[in-house]
Amino acid sequence: MSEVILSATDIVKSFSIKSKKIGKREQVQAVSGVSLDVFRGETLGIVGESGCGKSTLARCLVQLLAATSGSVSFNGTVITGLPRRKLRKHRREMQLIFQDPFASLNPRKRVGDIVAEPLRIHGFGDNEKINARVRELFSLVGLDVNGLQRYPHEFSGGQRQRIGIARALALNPQLVVADEPVSALDVSVQAQVLNLLKDLQEKLALTYIFISHDLGVVRHVSTRVGVMYLGELVELGDADSLYDQPLHPYTEALLSVAPELDDGTQSTRKRIVLSGDVPDPSHKPTGCTFHPRCPYATEKCASEKPAFVAISPSRSVACHYPRA
Amino acid sequence: MPEPLLSVENLQVSFETRAGVVRAVDGLTFSVGEKEVVGIVGESGSGKSVSMYSMLGLLRETNVTIEGSVKFQGREILGLGDDQMQSIRGKDIAMVFQDPMTALTPVYSVGWQIAEQIRAHGTENKQQAHARAIELLAEVGIPDPARRVNQFPHEFSGGMRQRVVIAMALSCNPKLLIADEPTTALDVTTQAQILELMGKLQDTYGSSIVLITHDMGVISEMADRIVVMYAGRPAEMGSRVDVIRTPQHPYTWGLMGAVPRLESKKSRLVTIPGNAVSPLDVPEGCAFAPRCDHRMDICSTRPAMRGTEHQDACWLDGVQKVTFRSERHSA
Repeated sequence: MSEVILSATDIVKSFSIKSKKIGKREQVQAVSGVSLDVFRGETLGIVGESGCGKSTLARCLVQLLAATSGSVSFNGTVITGLPRRKLRKHRREMQLIFQDPFASLNPRKRVGDIVAEPLRIHGFGDNEKINARVRELFSLVGLDVNGLQRYPHEFSGGQRQRIGIARALALNPQLVVADEPVSALDVSVQAQVLNLLKDLQEKLALTYIFISHDLGVVRHVSTRVGVMYLGELVELGDADSLYDQPLHPYTEALLSVAPELDDGTQSTRKRIVLSGDVPDPSHKPTGCTFHPRCPYATEKCASEKPAFVAISPSRSVACHYPRA
Repeated sequence: MPEPLLSVENLQVSFETRAGVVRAVDGLTFSVGEKEVVGIVGESGSGKSVSMYSMLGLLRETNVTIEGSVKFQGREILGLGDDQMQSIRGKDIAMVFQDPMTALTPVYSVGWQIAEQIRAHGTENKQQAHARAIELLAEVGIPDPARRVNQFPHEFSGGMRQRVVIAMALSCNPKLLIADEPTTALDVTTQAQILELMGKLQDTYGSSIVLITHDMGVISEMADRIVVMYAGRPAEMGSRVDVIRTPQHPYTWGLMGAVPRLESKKSRLVTIPGNAVSPLDVPEGCAFAPRCDHRMDICSTRPAMRGTEHQDACWLDGVQKVTFRSERHSA
């Protein structure tokens, strides 16, 4: 395996929220103890349902949020706890693409200026140099350079997402974190953006962390996939083997109910429909957090928390009774 | 063939706007039989929701023109007065909306909201309606319904709220249930619960369902028949097996190729070039022609829906379709 570009150890992020009891506050752990390595040139997919902490984790990894505890190192340097000024030179190497292309672009700025902004902030060069780079970026992401002077509202959702991608790539980052980059787009446009991301990765040797709730999309783009549930990483492994042979019962259930094109003649899939809802993250179940919904849970699962262990070189899982 | 429960004939819905006339639905014809699930699939702006709203008289703005014919149980319902429509809406034809938070009012308990609908259409008194509301909540799988019935929407999770909305829709034993993106706002595991519930209830109640969604996967798992819409027009229509296995329209090919599969190899996704057409400016001929790989001269004339059971609006002939489709498949 190639070198590790980013390594996270035991990341915890808790937020303080208003409690139901008046005047009291309580802690919610959005991410509880996630450790993972991201290898150079790969796409690490992170999948999970809403509220599982996948976006919070991503923000902690790139230091957009300060983790409550745990450390992140990037290219061998520990970047958690660095002062802002020192963080800046690492920041240009880690960029984000956001979910909602309507909310992530300033409606009062011309798109050319939006893409130029990171270049100005990081002192890329004089105006002429910046303009040339912006034009280069526009053609890189497949946008017409004649649109530079226009405003975001004049572009469609897919085009706006391309603008967001151009902005993220402006400083030639090594790592790009894409947080649900195609969820707001229609399927035909979604496919265009996914293909674009793939092409750019090959052309620019990028490393992606790709967050999505869509299992099909994650499978399509990822080298490795991590599955999150209630703030914890429950399974991590090679995309192919994880999808073919899920080890964690949650992964198994998730995959079994993802809607698939199906003409009704060859349904061999066994659907595992989980009962109940995801528990309230401020009152997590004891033991394995998944046990109240798990079809295979035993008493041990309710009392003892399973460790996140490597089962084979490329697969890890947090379960007392892994499947298969 | 017995008379269909719902038959829509050449439905046209247009909006007069400052920028011009928007033809949101242009020539939609389809029917729904007894106990049948018809899925309408298309991307945003393809007219799938507007067509349903217009049928039920939910589009009341003055700039809307609705033409065509919509027959429910043999009776024309397009252009019915408010009073008459009121007696059908919610009773014979019920609707489930995409966002369960906005479909419920936050200021009344869910029991009150369900009971309101029962009393509006039936002869039950308050107590009976309340009791029926509890029964319905139990039926849609809400635990502890006798307690939950007095709670407010914000005390329910998204999936539970959608169950409440479904309970409300079922309260009057509707013959037809229109579900507009009922699971789009929900997570995968919750979506599976709701789809399973809808399937189960369809068996018990024997309602027909029109399911509107943008998700080819959902539609292929639920629908008996599928209508594919593009730019307000039907592109293809047929049984689930026909449409999924042998799609005839290049737009359907694109739509299916663009969905990343769970068991996918790491190939490129097949994309549909360009963006969806602006509804202000739908081409004179085939609406899909500007984005179609197989465009011909004749495509500047609008193709009609052709075929009997499996219909499509495309000028390609049968042999060409088979060839192009298999080329795409192997690509």
